[in-house]
Amino acid sequence: MADYENFVRAELPRLLRYATMLTGEREQAADLVQDVLVKVYRRWSRISDADHPDRYVLRMVTNGYLSWRRSRAARVVAAGDLPDEARPGDFASDHALREDMWQRLARLPRRQRAVVVLRYYEQSPDAEIADLLGCAQGTVRAHAHRALATLRNGLTIEQMAQAKES
Amino acid sequence: MDELTEVEKLLKDTFTAHEHIAPDSDQVLADARERIQKRRAVLSRPLAVAAGVVVLTLAAVTVVLLNRPTDKAQVAGPVTTVQPTTSVSTESAIPELTMPYSLDWLPPGEVDYLVHRVNIGGTAEDPDTPIYGGEYMFNVTNNGQVLYVDVQHFGMSTPDEAAFKSGPGSPVTINGLHGVESSVSDGPGGYELYLTHPGGGSMYVGVSAENGTTAPAQLLIDTGRRIAEHIRFPGDTRVTPMFGLGELPSGMKMCTFDLEKGFDSPPGTAHPSTSYQLGTCDTQPTINIYTADERDVTGTAGQPVQGHETRYVDESGYLKLFVVDAVKGKSVAIAGSVPLADLYDIGNRLILPN
Repeated sequence: MADYENFVRAELPRLLRYATMLTGEREQAADLVQDVLVKVYRRWSRISDADHPDRYVLRMVTNGYLSWRRSRAARVVAAGDLPDEARPGDFASDHALREDMWQRLARLPRRQRAVVVLRYYEQSPDAEIADLLGCAQGTVRAHAHRALATLRNGLTIEQMAQAKES
Repeated sequence: MDELTEVEKLLKDTFTAHEHIAPDSDQVLADARERIQKRRAVLSRPLAVAAGVVVLTLAAVTVVLLNRPTDKAQVAGPVTTVQPTTSVSTESAIPELTMPYSLDWLPPGEVDYLVHRVNIGGTAEDPDTPIYGGEYMFNVTNNGQVLYVDVQHFGMSTPDEAAFKSGPGSPVTINGLHGVESSVSDGPGGYELYLTHPGGGSMYVGVSAENGTTAPAQLLIDTGRRIAEHIRFPGDTRVTPMFGLGELPSGMKMCTFDLEKGFDSPPGTAHPSTSYQLGTCDTQPTINIYTADERDVTGTAGQPVQGHETRYVDESGYLKLFVVDAVKGKSVAIAGSVPLADLYDIGNRLILPN
C-alpha cells in the first residue's frame, strides 16, 4: 500500500481544498474527504488500476458531496444570513467582497455549486464536468448560467466596479 | 469585460481567498486511518492478527522502497548548504522547468520527491502572479526515520490567517520576516510554519514524522525553520518533465505544470507523470496536456505527429488527441474544446524524448 500512502499524501491537499470549495465549511470538507479516503483504502487495488486514480477519487468526492445527507449540511446552508441586497458600506475591502460572494455560494443548489467549483476553481472544461457529473454539456452550461445569475443578483454596480478594479 | 466576466473573476478570487480554510491533511488522514483500523478490529481475532501482520509488512516494504534511491533522489548534507536540482535528462533536449523559489537547504538523508508543481495562473486580476508560487513535496529518509516535508506558497493568505492543526500558532521571526508557527511532536501536523512572503501571501513549511511514527519535536522545529531560512527567491531549481511544450501558439501560455511521481507504477521505479495547462491563464485554461497510459487511448486513428501514431476522440465538442507511445511507453494526451487542428498544432510543437 505504499503507493496508496504516496497517492493520498500528494492528492489529499487538493482534495481537501476542493471539498472546502464545495461545502464551504472546514469540518464538512474534512468529513466528506475522510469518508472518501476510507472507501479509497478499501478499493485501492481497483482504483490504483484506474486510468486516472486522481480523477476517480475526485469523482468520489463530488458524488459524496452531491449525495450528502447529513443534517448539518442543510443547517449550514440554511443559516447563511445573506442580505438580499448587500449594503455598499459592507464592501470597504476586497476581503468583504469575497466574503459576500462566499455566502452567496452557500445558497446555491449543490449541483450548481459543484459546476461553479469545477469550472472556476478546478478549471475543468465543461466536457469533463459533464463526464464527472454524469450529465450533458448543455446541462452543465445551464447550471453554470443559473448559478452565475444567482450570484450576480444583488451585487450593485459599485460592487461590480470594485470587483473589476480589485 | 462585461458584468458576467467580472462575476467569474470575483468567483475565482473568492475560491482562492478561501483555500486556507481547508482542513488539515494529516488530521483527516489520521481520522480516516482510525476508522479503517476500527473496522479491522471487528474482524475475527485470527484474521485481525493476520491483517496486522500484513500492515506491518507493508509498512516495512514502504520504508524500504522509500529508502531506495531513484533517479530523482538526492542526498543532502547535514550541514552544508546544497543546491537542490533534479536529474537532467541527457537523452533529449526537453526543456527543464524552473521552480519560482529554491530550497537551499534540505534535511540530511535521502530525498524522494513526490511532487513539483506550479500554478502560474494566479488571481484573475493578475494572472501572472502565481497562486501557488510553487510546491515541493518530498520524503526524507535518514537512519530509518522518514520525515514528510511540504513547502508551498499561498499567494492570498497571510501568516495571521493560517489555521494550524493543533492549538494556536505563536509568532516567530525568520530572516526578518514575520511568521506564525505551531508544533506538536506526537500528534498530526508536526511542525508548521507560515512565513510572510515578500511578494504577498505566505510561505508554508510543514515537517512531520511518517504516519504512525513520532519524531522529537525539536527535530521537526529545527528542520522546518532551517528549510524556511534557506528558501531563496527567485528560484533556479529546475525539474525535468517527461516532455516539453515547445514554442506555444500565439496568445497561449503555460498556466500550470505538475510533475508527480507516477502512482500507477511501482514506487521507486516510476517516472514522474507530467501535465500542463495552457491558455490565457485568466479564467479557464483551454488546453490540457498530460501523460496518459496506453489503456487510455481510444478513438479514431488520426494523422501522425512527430512520427507517432495518433488517435482522437470527440466527446461532445471536447476533443482529445492521443500521441501514442510518445513518452517511455505512455501516450501524451492533448485535450480541449478547440478544433482538432489546434491540437495537432500543439502536438507537433511538443518536445518529445528521442
